[in-house]
Amino acid sequence: MTSVTSVRNLRLKFPGESKMLFRDMSLSINRGEKVLLLGTSGCGKSTLLQVLSGLVPRTIDIPMKCDDIQIPDQWGFVFQDPDTQFCMPYVDEELAFVLENLEVPREEMSSKICSLLKEVGLELENIHTPIQHLSGGMKQRLAIASVLALKPDVIFLDEPTAFIDEKGTEQIWETVKRIWKDKTLIIVEHKIEKILDFADRLIVFTPDGEILADGNTSMVFTHYKEKFKEFGIWYPGAWDDYKREPIMNNKKELPNTMKLQIFKGYRNKEVKIVVDHLVVHSGEWVTIMGENGAGKSSLLLALMQLIKTSGDYFINDVPIRKTKDISGLLYLVFQNPEYQFLTNSVHDEIIYGLKNDQEIESDVKEILSSLELTSKKEQHPYQLSVGQKRRLSVATAFLQKPNILLLDEPTFGQDSLNTFKILEMIEQERQKGTIILMVTHDHHITERFATRLWEVQNGRIVTDLQLNKGGNVQRGILHEFII
Amino acid sequence: MNSLFSGKYTWLHSINPSLKLLTILGLFILAINIHYLNFMVGFSCVILTLFIFGTGYSYKQLLLLSLPFLFVFLSTSSSMILFGKGETILFKWAYIQISEESLIRGIHLGFRALSFAILGLIFALTTKPVMLFYSLMQQLKLPPKFAYSFMAAIRLIPIMIEEYQIIINAQRVRGIEQKNHLLKKIERLAIPLLSQSIRRAYRIAVSMEAKRFQSNRKRTFYYEVGFSRNDLIFLCYFFVLIGLAYLLSNHYPFLPNTDVRYLSD
Repeated sequence: MTSVTSVRNLRLKFPGESKMLFRDMSLSINRGEKVLLLGTSGCGKSTLLQVLSGLVPRTIDIPMKCDDIQIPDQWGFVFQDPDTQFCMPYVDEELAFVLENLEVPREEMSSKICSLLKEVGLELENIHTPIQHLSGGMKQRLAIASVLALKPDVIFLDEPTAFIDEKGTEQIWETVKRIWKDKTLIIVEHKIEKILDFADRLIVFTPDGEILADGNTSMVFTHYKEKFKEFGIWYPGAWDDYKREPIMNNKKELPNTMKLQIFKGYRNKEVKIVVDHLVVHSGEWVTIMGENGAGKSSLLLALMQLIKTSGDYFINDVPIRKTKDISGLLYLVFQNPEYQFLTNSVHDEIIYGLKNDQEIESDVKEILSSLELTSKKEQHPYQLSVGQKRRLSVATAFLQKPNILLLDEPTFGQDSLNTFKILEMIEQERQKGTIILMVTHDHHITERFATRLWEVQNGRIVTDLQLNKGGNVQRGILHEFII
Repeated sequence: MNSLFSGKYTWLHSINPSLKLLTILGLFILAINIHYLNFMVGFSCVILTLFIFGTGYSYKQLLLLSLPFLFVFLSTSSSMILFGKGETILFKWAYIQISEESLIRGIHLGFRALSFAILGLIFALTTKPVMLFYSLMQQLKLPPKFAYSFMAAIRLIPIMIEEYQIIINAQRVRGIEQKNHLLKKIERLAIPLLSQSIRRAYRIAVSMEAKRFQSNRKRTFYYEVGFSRNDLIFLCYFFVLIGLAYLLSNHYPFLPNTDVRYLSD
């Protein structure tokens, strides 16, 4: 077989880092292979895609060296973030941008644009649609269409579904499988369930950027499962293998309740979420599921009084009408932890808003060590890894000792070790009597941790289901709702 | 927001954006060099007429959009009227001193500021940024590198506004309101906003290059921006009417026709 892209003895180091990302790493990929690259975040998978496509060092200036590199003649790249792939405001203009680069004559453009959109299943009434009006999944399919216009032989996909809900993810992979059956695909992805049957070669990296395993799917999973667990790389069945350690904490603190009656949340004078009647008590862990844009985030913002609301809303029988009423009672952990960092060091971040005394200092030490951040306590929060940022933002929430904790996809984009750790932290809070309301797309969490499920559809809670914790009885029912 | 900036498509929209830009720049320079009040008033009327009847927006929208500029008109002219120097005193009280010269000069200055604003609005309300940059690339040979960077940047603005709102909320949740120093607040907003924007701009640049964007290569254009009869009408409108205003202001001045500059000094 002929190789389409390869690199020999790659050495690469990010400026300012002490450690090398790759040290004498060699790799060769053959024509027509569907390769899936796996590894913990920060192990260099994405950088490798950029090296193989020639983006590093031509466009992205990272010092690198190699004995030999083969860059494919015709390649395309689908990136992770749907909002940073486009430079034009409208769908047709964006595809035209690619066609212009290829010097396609103007007269042929419109028909080409239509056929490209059709091929990726993006049937729009009018091709002159603002990209902003598309859902995340549609945007990614537009990105696929613009790559398709390049007529690539090799396609690099860097976590194209990371920001996309379950339905969108399925559509994206369905499209990729259909249009690029015969092409060479090199894929980096965390949510691997949907593409395992499609990949015929798996390359697994250690956190140090070395190749741990390289082979077909079944071989890799049978031989390296333990390593996957150790590094926190997701693999099919990771959830089944996960045994939750029982947390002993039976002293219940004050019982909390939250009551809602004909409660509405508004954005720009439009009703975005309606709750007819709901009561939540201490010890409950509610997961809120639903498609992107269904109103899940609006619900959290309404409960936080960050958007206009109407109706009855009581916490521990105290009526809530203003932002002031909730101070100390509720806390919301946002999806992007960077938004909530206020100080210049990890240590200050933890003590922010707390009264500074001896007792707290010892608490802080304990928290730092439980977060495995003791050595980084003087660092700027932005310099932490994705997982560390997330853990820090969840921990700062606990320190405020809220009665009700709201979380917006706290395990989003995390490796398995971090996911389990964060969920255990939240479980501990639940047992202390904190009410947990959590938006998530991950049904594993609902099955294993939640006591209750709300499904949001078109601004309403359409399902309110009590779950037996960890019980398999409910699993069948649950699947009906989610899939 | 949307309803404020959505109007009908008129002949002004079809003017070649480069030509429109140059014409308006020319009119800016002309406005600076008008020193007689009658002509200034006439000039402003020509522009206002086009603004009111040519842009395809409703009167309500136009009024709302020009409100801030009316304020500019009033503030520039009033400060000159009330405090400017002059010899023929009309009214005097404490620091306030209105003279004939300052009155004329103030009104003149007000009209000049107003015509600047209205010219800018005419351009902004009837030109799509994408079309402007396509035209600049085709007619004025602007390097595509700059044109596409600007278009990409425009796309980022609404994303940034949305993000600004999210960050404010996220920080409010952490209880930031108790300690309110303006500088501290700006710093806290600026760091996340800037870091996200830089990251985003960088990613867009990479993805543009991944789509084979090369600034020195020849390219075709999706939108062919050319010239039409409307462009001629547009130029004639200004030539004829401003010429007429000039003649009328010289022959039939309805206001004192003196040079507003301090020529005597």
